[in-house]
Amino acid sequence: MATNAVAHEAVCALRREIARIEGRLPDQFEPPVASTSTDDGLLLRHGGLPVGQHVLPTGAARLDAALQGGLPLAALTEIHGRQTRDAGAVAGFTLALCAAVLKTAPVKAPLLWVATGEALSEAGRPYAPGLLHRFGLTAETVLIADIRRLEDALWVAEEAAALTGFSAVILEVRGRAKKLDLTATRRLHRRAQAAARPFFLLRQAGLPEPTAAPVRLIVSPAPAGERRVLSRFLTGSIGPPAFLAEIGRSRSAIPAKAVLEWNRDECAFHERTDPADGAQDTGAVAAVSGQRPHPAGAAGAQLALRKIA
Amino acid sequence: MCPPLVISHRDSNAQRVAAICEQSAALGLRRGLGIADVRAMYPQVEIVEAEPDADRRLLTSLADWCDRYTPLVAFAGGDGLFLDITGCAHLFGGEQTMLDDLGRRLAEQGFCARVGLASTPGMAWAAARFLKPVPVAPGDEAEALSPLPLAALRLEPAVRTSLKSVGLRTVEAILHAPRPPLARRFGAGLLLRLDQALGAVDEAVSPRLPVAPLSVERHLAEPVVQTEEVERLIFIMAGTLQEDLVRRGEGARSLQLSLFRVDGVVKRLAVGASRPLREPALVLKLFRERLTALGEMEAGCGFELIRLSVMAAARFDPEQADLVAGDRPDGADLALFADRIRARLGNEAILASTLVESHLPERAVARVPFTGQPASASPDAPVRERPIRLLPHPEPVDVAMAEVPEGPPRNFRWRRVLYRVIRAEGPERIAPEWWLGGEDDEPTRDYFRVEDEDGRRFWIYRHGLYGAPTGTPRWFLHGLFA
Repeated sequence: MATNAVAHEAVCALRREIARIEGRLPDQFEPPVASTSTDDGLLLRHGGLPVGQHVLPTGAARLDAALQGGLPLAALTEIHGRQTRDAGAVAGFTLALCAAVLKTAPVKAPLLWVATGEALSEAGRPYAPGLLHRFGLTAETVLIADIRRLEDALWVAEEAAALTGFSAVILEVRGRAKKLDLTATRRLHRRAQAAARPFFLLRQAGLPEPTAAPVRLIVSPAPAGERRVLSRFLTGSIGPPAFLAEIGRSRSAIPAKAVLEWNRDECAFHERTDPADGAQDTGAVAAVSGQRPHPAGAAGAQLALRKIA
Repeated sequence: MCPPLVISHRDSNAQRVAAICEQSAALGLRRGLGIADVRAMYPQVEIVEAEPDADRRLLTSLADWCDRYTPLVAFAGGDGLFLDITGCAHLFGGEQTMLDDLGRRLAEQGFCARVGLASTPGMAWAAARFLKPVPVAPGDEAEALSPLPLAALRLEPAVRTSLKSVGLRTVEAILHAPRPPLARRFGAGLLLRLDQALGAVDEAVSPRLPVAPLSVERHLAEPVVQTEEVERLIFIMAGTLQEDLVRRGEGARSLQLSLFRVDGVVKRLAVGASRPLREPALVLKLFRERLTALGEMEAGCGFELIRLSVMAAARFDPEQADLVAGDRPDGADLALFADRIRARLGNEAILASTLVESHLPERAVARVPFTGQPASASPDAPVRERPIRLLPHPEPVDVAMAEVPEGPPRNFRWRRVLYRVIRAEGPERIAPEWWLGGEDDEPTRDYFRVEDEDGRRFWIYRHGLYGAPTGTPRWFLHGLFA
């Protein structure tokens, strides 16, 4: 029994060492903790995020199972688009993730979009009215660093990844990038881990290359559902955006793909299992009256003033 | 032995002598002579065309160098510089020592320079050209000017000629003459110049560069070459600046570092801060990015004088440190981050955007510098669907045929790829903003959201109308949807 305990101790020490090298939390080997909050209602926080809440559930059961709970939040995540013309879907998927992160964040910190000038001129700049409409990200929240050279963009991204002031950092690169090798991505990953902030690496139009990112998602567009208007679907309408997310690489190495549909009202993804299924959110067929500071008052009893004689 | 040199320039449609060297002067040449005459008289003379721009550049770099004596340096015509040394002379060991030092250093650089020092710009101008390099004491202007020719008064050539024609050749001749007849005959300019030289009328000299409210400088006995040494000096000088800024209750918004190289070249590096700062470590951080971006510093033989100036200052509100470490919602670290990026990669490197009230998609967003301040008010969400990425310029697409003349296209070719439109929403008509100028008859745009077979969603528009007199409408792709 004594030898068994010693062996267990040694195995645990080795596992902890492996976890340290791999930059993982050692408790992934332990039985999972049921709840992050303790019994007396105390919630531990580290760097503004609740301790233990290090994953962002995507909303698709199979994806979440393959990703062991969801996308890691304090890590580098690679999001891959096969072609430049898919840049809308790739950017939309990433910004949707950012919006979901911001929804739970205690402080609405800005997010930084670092891009090489080539990526922005080929696929377009993030457009503030669209971001506000689709993801609820205000214009002041999204900072854009338009850097011509990849070396400088990497420097900016590295500096930003180490800051806790950003809610998320996005680095967009187009085509093959020799400078963005295993070492460079490992540095980004380490900094994101230390700052406990998500870092999204967007790759447009290039083959997947070896990186240090624990998760790689391959995102391509999917046909949108139809809008639901007055409890029926409007034929031929283009509903909320849908994405086909495929796991290219993960810890568990389980292949999985799912069609995710972004719900703007709930600020969350929904998995669409049946392609004929319609969309959940109502869309903007009728004008939305969101964020109005002074809504119109209710009609009073007196509707018209009596004429003064 | 060099041949005699003559600089020529074009004056009233003829090539004339602009400047001559000593040898040419010995030959009897003088300014204003025709070049053809010079060639005929002395074929061995070398004639060079004047380059006013190059002369100006040389004078500008010399003015840069003169910044070491005073921040108030101004141009005096095309061949001179005014240095306002009010309150600076004691730093260089008195006026005479300063004048000697200036003359010696200019001679060491290979310039043939004449220097003069007086209480008024006009007198100093005359002293530099006609007197020995000795300061003219305040009050002695009249005495010093009397024996000088009238050219010492910075007069127009026409006035000078007419004065000469009546026998007035020196300043003395007009100094005690009755003033009204002089003014009547030769114009008010003559008396103004005289009064300016004597100090009866103030003359303002406008400095070439804005004057920094605060600056610290170091004269170095041993020139520094290495970047590390320069950074160490920046840190020390920023510490001195910090004390002054604390006393004034201000922080620096913009800083400039001037490096005076031994051979007279002056380098200036500027950094801006989005929030007032005074910490030497932060100042050094910004300058380190600037120096890194510069790469090779081109120190040459080294820098002998380094100056750190606060170009713009703003009120500094000291804030109480938070007991709880961690997130600071005011975004001070983000402001510093943005400053560092701007110092290294230029002011346009990091931008936030703000919504503008405009119907045209490309005008609905303005790019603004990021200050790190939290957003003041969030405007209303746009009611209409807008793309999440907008192309820098609308890209033309080929549309063979639309289903109905006013409807969306059935397929289109963008960047040489054919897309089949499965679904479309629209049109949303956006007319040009005629009240902001522009052409009246510019066609309207009809925007459609279209989705192709694979689910890509695009924003395309038809520029113009079918059957309109302006011709067949063209189609453009303007943005990508999520």
